[in-house]
Amino acid sequence: MNAALVLFLRLIVRPLRNEPIRAALTCFAVALGVAVIVAIDLAGKSAASSFHSSLETLAGKNDLAITATAGVDELVLGQLAQLPYPFELTPRIEDFATVDGRGAAIPFFGLDLVGMTNQTALPSALQWKQPQQSPDADAIPLWVTTGLRLPVGKHIRLLINSQLQEFVIAGNLPAQKYGGDQQDLFITDIGYAQIATGKAGKLDRIYVKTPANGSLSHWRAVLSARLPAGTIVSPQGAATDQNRKMLSAFRWNLRALSYVAVLVGGFLIYNTISISVVRRRADIGVVRALGGTRAELLWAFLLEALLFAGIGGGFGVLLGRVMAVGAASLVGSTVESLYVTNVPAPVHLSLGSVANGVAIGVGVSLLAALAPASEAARVSPIEAVARGRWEFVNTQRSRWLWRFALGLLVLSAVFTKTPPVMGAPAFGYAAVLLLVMGTSLLIPNIISWSAAGFTAFLQRLLGVEAVLAMQSLRSSLGRTAVLTAALATAVAMAAAVGIMVGSFRETVEVWLNSELTADFYLRPPGSAAADRHPTMSAAIADALERIPGVAAVDRFRAYPITYEGLPATFAGGEAAKPKGRGAIRFLPGENTAEILSKLNTGDYAVVSEPFANKHNVRPGSELRLPLGGAIRRFQVLGVYYDYSTERGFIVVDRSTLLKYLPDPAASNVAVYLEPHADASAVRRSINQALGGQSVLVFSNGSLRRGAITLFDQTFRITYALELVAVIVAVLGIAGALLALVIDRRREFALLRFLGASQPQIRRIILCEAGLLGLLANGIGIVLGTLLSLILIFVINKQSFGWTIQFHWPVALVLAMLGGIYIATLLAGLYPARIAARLDPIEAIHEE
Amino acid sequence: MALLEVRNASKTYRGAGAPVMALREVSLAVESGEFVALVGRSGCGKSTLLNLCGAIDFPTEGEVLIDGISTKRTNDFELTRLRREKAGFVFQSFQLLAGLSAVENVELPLLLARRPNARQTALSRLEWVGLQGYSARLPHQLSGGQQQRVAIARSVVHSPRLLLADEPTGNLDTGTGEAIITLLRNITRDFQTAVLMATHSSESLTSVDRVIHMRDGQLDI
Repeated sequence: MNAALVLFLRLIVRPLRNEPIRAALTCFAVALGVAVIVAIDLAGKSAASSFHSSLETLAGKNDLAITATAGVDELVLGQLAQLPYPFELTPRIEDFATVDGRGAAIPFFGLDLVGMTNQTALPSALQWKQPQQSPDADAIPLWVTTGLRLPVGKHIRLLINSQLQEFVIAGNLPAQKYGGDQQDLFITDIGYAQIATGKAGKLDRIYVKTPANGSLSHWRAVLSARLPAGTIVSPQGAATDQNRKMLSAFRWNLRALSYVAVLVGGFLIYNTISISVVRRRADIGVVRALGGTRAELLWAFLLEALLFAGIGGGFGVLLGRVMAVGAASLVGSTVESLYVTNVPAPVHLSLGSVANGVAIGVGVSLLAALAPASEAARVSPIEAVARGRWEFVNTQRSRWLWRFALGLLVLSAVFTKTPPVMGAPAFGYAAVLLLVMGTSLLIPNIISWSAAGFTAFLQRLLGVEAVLAMQSLRSSLGRTAVLTAALATAVAMAAAVGIMVGSFRETVEVWLNSELTADFYLRPPGSAAADRHPTMSAAIADALERIPGVAAVDRFRAYPITYEGLPATFAGGEAAKPKGRGAIRFLPGENTAEILSKLNTGDYAVVSEPFANKHNVRPGSELRLPLGGAIRRFQVLGVYYDYSTERGFIVVDRSTLLKYLPDPAASNVAVYLEPHADASAVRRSINQALGGQSVLVFSNGSLRRGAITLFDQTFRITYALELVAVIVAVLGIAGALLALVIDRRREFALLRFLGASQPQIRRIILCEAGLLGLLANGIGIVLGTLLSLILIFVINKQSFGWTIQFHWPVALVLAMLGGIYIATLLAGLYPARIAARLDPIEAIHEE
Repeated sequence: MALLEVRNASKTYRGAGAPVMALREVSLAVESGEFVALVGRSGCGKSTLLNLCGAIDFPTEGEVLIDGISTKRTNDFELTRLRREKAGFVFQSFQLLAGLSAVENVELPLLLARRPNARQTALSRLEWVGLQGYSARLPHQLSGGQQQRVAIARSVVHSPRLLLADEPTGNLDTGTGEAIITLLRNITRDFQTAVLMATHSSESLTSVDRVIHMRDGQLDI
């Protein structure tokens, strides 16, 4: 057998059997770290794969897609059909519908079922019953996915763009096959769909299957040359790719957060292996004297780390799979509110995710174990004949380490000023890592200073037990410094995320207060995002304007567009209409009144901050947008704060919008009341004006509460991740204190011989736990505040383009610190009990 | 050529304070099968000299040759191999690995050297030191004398040409100590192994071939 393996099995594994709890705690810490990575990876994949929409599932194998803002003129289809190329053209209508105007908005598609009859693209389930074979000539035939549980022949009414239409179920489609990842959908013939959606003469998309001869780019150029300006030809699946690209920053940030737990786990592996080396120093000396090589010893201790990583990693993968279900739901709700309509796809444990989680767990464990394992390899055989208790070689206190730590901190500061790399805040992440490393290296000195400065104070406050505890921490600095670093890192990351989210929440609240000044808001059911739900007919807004007590009505219409290969929203509003209310906030230095007064005088636009940052747009920039059959140029007047979506807005005045896209239907309507108007009476009048049409009406307060609730839901996943990191750190404290107790049996026995009572011994351990917690919390909160500045002003800004005002959420941070501190004390309870119950005679005799 | 040759070896330790010269120009030679005792007060340099002879430490000046191989010009890997093949160690405090049974302790050098039949050889060595039936015991289940016998069995399991024993009877009562000395004597007889033993026990000197006195880091001739 390999000598390293022999040493590993005999020198390391066997003693571990005597400490199953400590070994289990270390494995569990690694397992949690790996589980979080696997869970977040699976949840991210689930969210990203949901972008493969129902439409693309239905589209079959096509090559290109033709689109235009507000739809493609159906005459284009005829022009393309006459081209001397054998293109297979498949037109589509895409919209949303609700059953009887209630419940969630479900994708509604119009397909050319007649034209597709001879094409392979037509799903077989749709071929068996064509529209002309409709069971009921008076109603429009509709195919639905089985998940909707609507039997064939049943009559239903669908609300589409504020119009109720009657349909009869003509067939059921297996949801998994035809519903894509959005599960439910409605399909009807395209002619009916055009009428039902109010898009007569328009098509939302034309799919093109190109001839086999010639490249895709060739056919793309051929089509582009023959299409009217403002029409876009893109490869099929481009929308999916754009969504995934847009989501990549979010997923990267989430991944980075998920690595915190495994980083903390790395500290604990370091600590575990260090303890292992220190305890076996004499044995290592004997092995060296007996012929063990340095390499064999190095490998033996690396194998110990691999053992923890292997067991922890294996368990972590299973745990991660379980956690992924919850994580997918949390990530899905964040993606839904920040990005695009999203129903997370089922979570599948892929080999890639398993390999990724295990590889990171094993990699971090090996890296963490490398230093103590090297120390083991450096043990001289002379130590076999030397005697006494060895402590960690306290290299941390050396001067070069000080300088090295300061160097890392300076480098971290430099990295915060470095621009993103290909849109990713790579240097921002590096700055976080360097700041954590630099601070961790300073921790031995901080403990020494604290011991020197507070010992007298501690003695007065807590008695001799606290002094003994502090001296113990100081004398085993190598060990306690690593533990403190682990817990401080977890505390710091939790505090940093808490501060960032708190700051973001405060910023959003301030923004909501300035932005949401109307008294009522109306929108059809469906997604809250204006460009992702059905529209309301213009008559509704007109009727609202006539209600007594209504001062103004602000119609807002949004269209999903693609700008520079990324999804965005093009919208028209009447922000200038209600005088003195509802002014949007522009970035500092921009004149709000001047911008708003100029906006409706020509082809001018304002853009949201995320859009401006993503596309490097500034006031004065020119935007070229394909609208109404031509490329239109808009001059940017200003950049305004917006926290509703990361997609980014281009907003023009409603009159400008209607000039190019003359559909007067609104996506959202804001209603402003006269001063002293009776809000309840107006609300009743609004309901009457809607005449039973399915439109949601929100009061100002309920909309704000809804927005904040949504915000809080969005960040649940980040809190969950930080909680796991803290649990890992606290587990580490428990394990390390247990090791400390076992190592100091003789010392405790001696104290008992010298007159210490059992409660005193217990208090010493609890004091150590308490002091560790106090130091880690103190360091963690300072480090966390610095990290939050990097998260807010570097990583967030470079990833999402949002300006967040710094705000210290005092209650949240204090509650978190208190919780962590109590958890640390609780972690000391079991080791304290073990220490107090030691038999002093037996412990002395063992020595 | 002598099995062990120490040529003008000096050893200086440089710590935080002034350098400490633990050995001064020591020269000696030990032949195969010879039982040599190093005698002197605590701190006279006996253990340092043993460490140099066992290739677990190096002279600051001079040279140590084991079976003709200098310890000074070899790297760590070769030194380790030298120890594996040529040297065995017996310590005052036994230094058995607490988690391993008697036979596992004994077979460890063979496993490290990847020698075949490690278990059988280890069992035969345990039998040779009179501990048949004790192979499964853990160190704390053995008396001091038994632990030292296990340590001796371990030190000769790979048939080294040189055995270095540092105060092997220091932690034992007189009777047990005498038994251990007898064992060491038998090693020189049965295996032709040279034994260099540091001791301050006068009783043990009657069994050795040669006594070398040390004082203040030098041989007291």
